[in-house]
Amino acid sequence: MNIDQLLLLGSIVVPLLTSISLFLGLGKTDLFIKNVSYFGFLFPLVSGIILFLNFDSSLGGYCFEVFYPQMGLQKLNITFHLGLNGVSSPLFAMAGVVGFAAGFTAINTKVERLRLYLALLLMMQAGLMGLFASIDLFFYYLFHEFALIPTFIMIGIWGGRDRRSIALEITIYLTLGALISLGGLVALNVFVDAEKFDFPTLSNAILESGLGKSTQTKIFGLLLFGFGILVALFPFHTWAAKGYESAPTSVSMLHAGVLKKFGLYGLIQIAVPLLPQGASVWGSYLMWMALGNVLFVGFVTLAQSNLKSMVGYGSVMHMGYCFLGIATCSALGAGSAVMLMAAHGLSIAAMFLLSNFVYRRVGTYEMNEMGGLGSKTPLLACFFIAVSLATIGLPGFGNFWGEFGVFLSLGRSQDHHIFLFLAALGIIISAVFGLRAVAKIFYGVPTEELKNHEKKNPITDLKISEIVPATVILLFLLLLGLWPKIISERVDHEINSRYSNINSDYSSTLPPCCPPEGIDSSFESNQSSIHKSLNQIHIK
Amino acid sequence: MDTVTIAFSLLLLPFLSSLITLLFLRRLGNIASLLSVATSGGILVLSLFLIFQGASETFAWQGTWIKLADWELKFGFLIDAPARLLLFVVSFIGFLIHIFSLGYMADDKSKSRYFGGLSVFMFSMIGITVADNLIMIFVFWELVGFSSYLLISHYFSTKEASEASKKAFIVNRIGDFGFLIGIVLTYWSFQTVNLVELANQADFDPTLVTTAIGIALACGFIGKSAQFPLHVWLPDAMAGPTPVSALIHAATMVAAGIYLLLRIDFMFTENAMSFLSILGACMGLYAGFCALVQRDIKKILAYSTLSQLGYMTAAFGLGMPGIALFHLMTHAFFKALMFLGSGSVIHACHHEQDIFLYGGLRKKMPITALTFLIGVLAISGVNFLSGYFSKDAILLSAYNINLPVFIILYLGAVLTALYMFRLYFITFEGESRSDDARKAIENGPLMTGPLILLAILSVFGGFHVLYPVAISESILSDVEKVANMPNHLWMIVLGTFAWIIGGITARNLYSNIGQIDPLSKKFPTFFALCKSKLFFDEIYTLYLRKIQNPLTRFLEVMELLFISGLMVRGTAGVSGLLALLGKSFYNGKIHSYAFWFIAGTLAFVAFALGYTGN
Repeated sequence: MNIDQLLLLGSIVVPLLTSISLFLGLGKTDLFIKNVSYFGFLFPLVSGIILFLNFDSSLGGYCFEVFYPQMGLQKLNITFHLGLNGVSSPLFAMAGVVGFAAGFTAINTKVERLRLYLALLLMMQAGLMGLFASIDLFFYYLFHEFALIPTFIMIGIWGGRDRRSIALEITIYLTLGALISLGGLVALNVFVDAEKFDFPTLSNAILESGLGKSTQTKIFGLLLFGFGILVALFPFHTWAAKGYESAPTSVSMLHAGVLKKFGLYGLIQIAVPLLPQGASVWGSYLMWMALGNVLFVGFVTLAQSNLKSMVGYGSVMHMGYCFLGIATCSALGAGSAVMLMAAHGLSIAAMFLLSNFVYRRVGTYEMNEMGGLGSKTPLLACFFIAVSLATIGLPGFGNFWGEFGVFLSLGRSQDHHIFLFLAALGIIISAVFGLRAVAKIFYGVPTEELKNHEKKNPITDLKISEIVPATVILLFLLLLGLWPKIISERVDHEINSRYSNINSDYSSTLPPCCPPEGIDSSFESNQSSIHKSLNQIHIK
Repeated sequence: MDTVTIAFSLLLLPFLSSLITLLFLRRLGNIASLLSVATSGGILVLSLFLIFQGASETFAWQGTWIKLADWELKFGFLIDAPARLLLFVVSFIGFLIHIFSLGYMADDKSKSRYFGGLSVFMFSMIGITVADNLIMIFVFWELVGFSSYLLISHYFSTKEASEASKKAFIVNRIGDFGFLIGIVLTYWSFQTVNLVELANQADFDPTLVTTAIGIALACGFIGKSAQFPLHVWLPDAMAGPTPVSALIHAATMVAAGIYLLLRIDFMFTENAMSFLSILGACMGLYAGFCALVQRDIKKILAYSTLSQLGYMTAAFGLGMPGIALFHLMTHAFFKALMFLGSGSVIHACHHEQDIFLYGGLRKKMPITALTFLIGVLAISGVNFLSGYFSKDAILLSAYNINLPVFIILYLGAVLTALYMFRLYFITFEGESRSDDARKAIENGPLMTGPLILLAILSVFGGFHVLYPVAISESILSDVEKVANMPNHLWMIVLGTFAWIIGGITARNLYSNIGQIDPLSKKFPTFFALCKSKLFFDEIYTLYLRKIQNPLTRFLEVMELLFISGLMVRGTAGVSGLLALLGKSFYNGKIHSYAFWFIAGTLAFVAFALGYTGN
C-alpha cells in the first residue's frame, strides 16, 4: 500500500476513529477534545488536496484503489473498494476543504456538550469523505447514511427555532429519498446481475447485456426521484431551506455544501451513463423541474428577509443549474455540473459561515434589522461581498465556469433554447437577492434595533479563528475561478469516456453538423441506413 | 521582453496591486494610493511599449484556459489596431485620473479601498481590451461591472450610493443576460468564439450571421454603454467619487460597449445595424433633453455622456466603426477633462453639487474654469477643436447615408451646445450664489496638472495626423471615407451654426439668474417633461412594486400552501390519520383486545375454510 492509498483510506478512518474516541470519552479536558478534532478535520483536508493534485487524469478510470474483497459480504457481491476518478476527486477534495472549515468553526464555537457535537460532526465528515471515495455502491450508500444520520441528531439537539418538528420533517423526507434511491440501486443490481456491486463492473455488465428501454426508464425514475429528493429538486425542496435555517452552522455547511451533492453525484456517475435511454426519457421532465428550482425557488428567495433562509433557498435555486446540466445528458452538461458542484459546495458553505458571523455580531438573522455594518466590520464585509458575488456567478470565482458550461450545454440543441433562455434569467434573480443582502447588511446606516443591540454587545471585526475557515474556502473558490483547467482537465477525461456512448446515442436525435448529402446507393449496409435516418432528422 | 510577457504583465500588474492592497495595505491608505498610482504608471509604460513595439502588426497569443468535453476555451490576446487605440486611451487617461485622485481623495478615510478598486478596474478594463474571444470578453466584462459596483458604493453609508451600486450591477446583469445567450448561440452556430475565427467564418458563410444573435450580443453593449432602455443606471452611478465617474462612467468602461460592437462588427446584419443607428440617434437626443434640466453638475455630465455614447452608436450603425472609435477617443479626452473639472469644483465647494449654488467660480478657480471651458467648446463642436472633427464626421456620414438619423443627431448637437454652455455659464460666470462658492479656492497641482494635460489633448486631439500610426491606424480608413463624401462645406456651415445657436441661447437664458432654473418659469410644461425623463425610473419602480414583489410573495405563499402544506404535510396528515385509526384499537382495555383477538381468529378460520373448502 503506497502513501496515496494510505491517505485515501486515512481520510475516512482518521475522522471515524477520532469520532469514536470522542464517543468513548477518551481525554477529559476540552483542550484534548479540540486538538483531537483538529487532527480529525485536518487530515481529510490535506489528503484531499494531495490526492487531487496527484490524480493523473491521463490514466483514466480509478486511481489510488484500495480493495478488500473479503469483507464477509462478498456473497452479496459487496466488496470494500475505494478509489478516486476524475469526477470524484474534485468533489473529494472539496469535501475535505468544506469539512475543515466547518470543523474549525465548530471547534471554536461555544456549544453545550462540545464532545458529542464534535464526535457527530467528525462522523459526518468520515461519511462524506467515504461517499466520494467509494467505488462499491453499497458503501457509497452506507457512507451517505453515515453522514445523514448525525444531521438529524444535530438539528434535533442543537438546532434553532422549531428544531424538533423540523428535524422530524427532514428525517422523514430524506429517509424517504434515500429509500427510493436505494430501491433504484438494488433494482440496478438485480436487473444487471453483475458479479460485483460497483461502478465499473456494473457499467461493463450493462454494456454487454444492455437493459431494455422500459427497464431503464423505470430504474432511472426511481433513482431520479430518490436522488432528487435528497438534492432538493423542485417540488421536493421544501425541507431544505427550513432545515438549513434551523441547523447549526457547521451542519448547514456540511449538508448544503457536501452531503447534498450525493444525489447529483449518483446521477452523474451512475444513473445517466448506465441508463442513457431512461435518462433521455426523463430528461425533459427533469428540465422542467430544474427550471422550477431556478425560477420558482429563485423568486421565493427574493421574498426572504431572513438571511439564513435566503441563503438556504439560494442554495436550492443553484442546484437547478446542476440538474439542467445533467438533464442535457451530454458530457459538457455533466462535466459543467461537476464543476458547479465543487464550486457551489465551497461557496454555499462560505455563505452559511459568513451569515453566522453576521449573526454573532448583530444577534439576528433578520436583514431588515441590520444595516451599516460595513464601517464597523470592514473585513467581514469584504468576505461577505466576495462570497456573495461568487454565489451569483461572478467570473473569477469557480461558480462562473460551471454555470457558463451549463448554459453552453443547453444551447447545443434547438429544443433546449427555451430552457437556456429561462434558466439564464437566474443570473439576474441571484444578482438581485445577493446584492440586496449586501446592501441591507453592510451599506446604509444602522437601524434602531441594531443600535440597541450594539449598546449591550459591542461589534468587533472578524477574529483570527473566524478568518481562517473563511479564507481557506475563499482561496479555493478563487483558484477554481482563475485556473479552471485544474479541475476541468481532471473531469474532462473521465466524463468523456463515461458519456461517449451516450453522446453517439444523443447526437442521433440532433441535426448533425454536416449531413452527407448524396450517399452512394450501392452501400446497402448499416451505415447508409444510419445516414438516411440522420438525413431525415436533419430535414425535419 | 517579448510581447507575451508584456501582455501578461499588463494584466498581472494591476491584479497584484489590488491583491497586495487587499491583503496588506487595508489600513495604510497612503501607501496603497502610491502603489496604485505607480501601478498605473507602469501600465502606461508597458502599454506604450506594447503599442509601439508591434507598430502596425496584429499580435495574437493563446493558451488553454479550460477544456471540458467539446468546449475548449483559450486564454488569448488579440492586439490589433482598435485594441492599441483603446489601450492607449485606457492607460493614459487612467494614469491621469490616478494622479488626480491623489489630490481629490487626500482626506478620504478609506483610501485603500478606493485605490484597490481602481486597480481592479484597470485590470478588468485592460482584459476587455486585449481579449481575443467572446467568453474572455464576457469574463472581464462582468469584472468591470464588479469594479464599477465597488467604486460606486464607495460612500456606502449613504442610501444613494448603496442603491445606485446595486442598480448599476443589476441593470448591467440584465444586459449581460442577453450577451450570455448571444455568446452561447454564437458558439453553437459558428463552433468558435474566437474573434479572428468568427470573422473568417462570417466571411466564409454569411448565412450564419443572423439578426437575432447580433441583437442578443448587442444587449451586452446596451447594458454597459447605458443605452435605451438600460440607461437608468448611469445617472445614478454618479453617487460614486468624481474621479471614478470620469474614468469609468465617462471615458473608458461605458465606451467598452462601443468597443465590443467594433470587435464583432461582422456579426451584425443590415437590420441590426440600422436598429443600432436609430437607437443611438434617439439616445443622443433624449439624453440631451434630460441634461438640459438637471441641477446636479455630475448628472448633467452623465446625461451628456449618454448622449455622446448615442453618437458613437449611431456612427457604428451607419457602418463607420472607425469614426465611432475616433469619437470614443476625443470624447474620452474632453469628458474626462470636464468630469475632473467638476471634481475640482466639487472639491473646492465642500462637496456641493448643485450648479445653482455655484456661480462666479471663474475668478476663484481660473485654471479649472479655463480648462472646463475648453472641454465645453470641444464637446459642442467648436471648429478645429477635438470634438469638432469626430462629431462632424458622424454628422456628415449620417447626412450622406441616412437623413432621418442626421436630423435627430443634428438637433442633438444644438442641444449639446445649449446644455453645456448652460452648465458653464451657471457654474463659472455671474455672481456666487452660496457661501461654499464664495469661499472656493483653486486646487493644487495634483488636480490642475491632469486638467491642463487633458485640455491640451481636447484642443489638439482631433488632428488624427498628429498621432503615431500604431494608434490611429484603425480610424484612418473610415476617416478617409468620410473625407471623400460630398457636402463637406455645407456641413461645416451647419456644424458651426449648431454650436453658435446653442451658445447664444444659453447666454441669453442663463445669465443673471437666482437659485431657480429660469427654464422652469418660462416653459413649465417642457421643463416638467424633460425632468420626468420619460418616466423610466418610475416604470422600473412600478415593476418592482406591482409585479416583482407581489409575485415573489405569491410564490412564497404558494410554496407554503401547496408544496409544503398540501403535499408534504398532506402526506404526513394521511399517514397520521391512519395512525390514529390504528391507535384507536389500542385503548388499553383487556376485553376489547380479547374481542378483537376472537374476531380475528374467527375471520382467519373463516377465510382459511372458505378457500380450502372450495
